[in-house]
Amino acid sequence: MATHAAEIHDTSTGIDNTKLAMWTFLGSECLLFGALISVYLLYRGTVQAGPGPGDVFDIPFTSVSSFVLLMSSLTMVLALAAIQRGDQHRTRIWLAATALLGMTFISGQVYEFTVFVREGFTVRSSSAGSAFFVLTSFHGAHVTLGIVMLLSLLGLSLQGKLPQERATAVEYVGLYWHFVDIVWVVLFTLVYLIPIPSPS
Amino acid sequence: MDAHQVDQAHPKEKLYVKVALWLALVTGIEIFISYAGLPDWITILSLVALSLIKFLAVVGYFMHLKFDARLLRKPFVGGLLLAITIYAIVLLAFTLHDGGV
Repeated sequence: MATHAAEIHDTSTGIDNTKLAMWTFLGSECLLFGALISVYLLYRGTVQAGPGPGDVFDIPFTSVSSFVLLMSSLTMVLALAAIQRGDQHRTRIWLAATALLGMTFISGQVYEFTVFVREGFTVRSSSAGSAFFVLTSFHGAHVTLGIVMLLSLLGLSLQGKLPQERATAVEYVGLYWHFVDIVWVVLFTLVYLIPIPSPS
Repeated sequence: MDAHQVDQAHPKEKLYVKVALWLALVTGIEIFISYAGLPDWITILSLVALSLIKFLAVVGYFMHLKFDARLLRKPFVGGLLLAITIYAIVLLAFTLHDGGV
């Protein structure tokens, strides 16, 4: 079952401190997104004028976007597996594929926002609109940051500055990227799929 | 050194592909349920349960939390449980107060 040997780090816990810090950071991110999701759930039924979220959502389109982001988690973990066995060529292919899938997702989000605004569902049209755009924009900003990190890793790899010994760098970026994916798993269900109550 | 504190070996790539295929299948089931016209409470419960399965699969397999040292689970699960508890209380308080926002 192993693609690389088990590791013991020279720390008091036997765990890489940076990895522990990364997981702590991701734990704190749960609180940030929890707050934004709660605000959306509280306000999603409050539309003073114009269309509400349920009137403008295009579930088939967003489902494809969700699938794209989900598959980017697969390419990310394949990039990590490739660098851990010292396969630089496949590391670059999978990193590029992950960045490309991320960019596809962001392009979809930009398109979706454009359609929503054209149909009258904007950040200023209602409390539900404000909560929706703040929540999904924050997630989009996280994805964008992840793409920048992936492209940086790809650049380092192309310059020969990302050897097998530095596989942990790919692992940390991977942890961040997968977190962005699981946040979307939750958002897709709570924001897009769960029925919205009638406007008050 | 506690044996549980040491990172275990990570799974093979075939397993990652299998997990991804299962995740795609679960996403398809979610979309089907959202269009099935079931009673709201069944729809909500099913979608939350399926979302939880996807969440755990990504965290466990792709983020390797299932295979890594147990200590790594504490800061993440701690943050997650804290978030769920705090915001569940907030949502409940707002829902009970004047029937919502």
